[in-house]
Amino acid sequence: MTTAARKPFNWRRWRLVVTGGTIVGTIMLLAILAPWVAPYSPFDLNVAQMLKGPSAAHLLGTDELGRDVLSRVIHAARLSMMVAVLASLVGLVFGTLIGTLAAYFGGIVDLVLMRLMEILFSFPAILLAIVLMASLGTSIFNAMIAIGIIFIPGFARLARATAESVLRQQYVEQARAIGMSHTRILVREILPNILAPLLVEAAVAFSYAVLLESALSFLGLGAQPPDPSWGNMLNTGRGFMGVAPWLSIVPGAAIFLTVLGFNMLGDGLRDAFDPQLRDE
Amino acid sequence: MSEFRPHAQGAARPALAIRDLTVDFQRRSGALRTVDKVSLDVWPKEIVGVIGESGSGKTMTALSAMRLLPHGARIGGAIALGGRDLVDIGESEMRALRGDRIALIPQDAMQSLNPTMRVGRQVGEPYEFHRKQSYGAIWSKVVELLRAVKIADPETRARDYPHQFSGGMQQRAMIAMGLALDPELIIADEPTTALDVTVQARILKLLRDIRDERGSAILFITHELGIVAELCDWVYVMKDGKVVEDGPVKRIFEAPKADYTRMLLEATPSIHRRKGAKR
Repeated sequence: MTTAARKPFNWRRWRLVVTGGTIVGTIMLLAILAPWVAPYSPFDLNVAQMLKGPSAAHLLGTDELGRDVLSRVIHAARLSMMVAVLASLVGLVFGTLIGTLAAYFGGIVDLVLMRLMEILFSFPAILLAIVLMASLGTSIFNAMIAIGIIFIPGFARLARATAESVLRQQYVEQARAIGMSHTRILVREILPNILAPLLVEAAVAFSYAVLLESALSFLGLGAQPPDPSWGNMLNTGRGFMGVAPWLSIVPGAAIFLTVLGFNMLGDGLRDAFDPQLRDE
Repeated sequence: MSEFRPHAQGAARPALAIRDLTVDFQRRSGALRTVDKVSLDVWPKEIVGVIGESGSGKTMTALSAMRLLPHGARIGGAIALGGRDLVDIGESEMRALRGDRIALIPQDAMQSLNPTMRVGRQVGEPYEFHRKQSYGAIWSKVVELLRAVKIADPETRARDYPHQFSGGMQQRAMIAMGLALDPELIIADEPTTALDVTVQARILKLLRDIRDERGSAILFITHELGIVAELCDWVYVMKDGKVVEDGPVKRIFEAPKADYTRMLLEATPSIHRRKGAKR
């Protein structure tokens, strides 16, 4: 077993990851390159062109103020992605920290931290988000924080459970036997070994963050007009469902595709990292 | 005990001296005593075996010397490493000794290596934590150590991850880590149990060479009589948390004094006895 022969690429094992990754990658790229990719500015009003259906000039039509829907949906992706990335990061960082500390120190630390997490967990996510937004004030930055806070208990539980099993491993004991300090054991022995499931969870959290952000913006708690967001675009489109269905369909489809992409990526990664499903 | 103990001659004091060690666990039904008034010595350059069945307290005794007992254990008695008390010192002082003056070679090497770190980096950890040397200096020491434990092509293999090592090589890597800072005492807790016999023999030879070349004292925990007979100078036999007998290996095997030792010896299957039993 000096150098194991490289196994051929296993398409069946990675197909979800590749498909999901492609969708997510495309959306990410569009979001990053929005100012250069979008054909028009998302804010330019053109009353002469309002509520026009898809055409060569406006591929996905225009909205009630004559703004280009394609440009708006691309710019909205930017905002959604930013919120999703940062909210997942907030959840991942704080959740991992809390869960790992609870598992490592156990006892009263574990009890207090995990009961706090359970209190957070017991609120329905959207309700908690609304409460947080109400107390923090409506802005896209606060929406991000609120969504991040909602994610913390999920990550904390996962981190704690995984860390518990890693803690029982002999190599943690061995780390103590060569005189490693608590911090070093946490950073060098435990963290790298619990990261894989947490990153998979982060991919799933991403898609949930996109949904939550849209929901908050739909309710007028997230992005404020005229800033485009899939949520507030859907909300405006609602009023023109009969005359201009593309106003609802386009942001709806964008949300659908993004959530689908992230879920495929998350599920695919989970399966690919699952040792029991390996090499079948 | 007035039996002649060659390693005690001319040495100022034992590398490890344990006196009346007790280890208690608090249970709802009262204290559970797993080690009961155990006294043992390991002299410099001596390989001392502790033998006993599962639950006899041999591992608890060894872990007490590292102060790595499971949560809720209470130590009583005295433990001294080269004259330094180990029972009453603070956790940070104890941490400074672990891996430096006293090292542990664990039972299952595969489980004892962090799967996400290269073997070389892990073997170098004692230098990293206790000596704070530069990365380059540590790396050359690691290669030297891996060569000392007879790993072929150490420069390349140090960059491998644990799963790329065979069971025997993993155990060698753990031994290398234990050797790193030339500790006064190496505690080996059944280091060969997970290995097949040929690899076992090579690991035992390696331990003996280490003792001869580096002069470390070794406390060897095992339940296999054959290994004790082959490797050790002095043996302690443990049962139910107590030492029932100790003495030089040859005498223990040829003329055991305690009934339990005799039972233990008789319980070991031997090809000669089976022939005799056939009739």
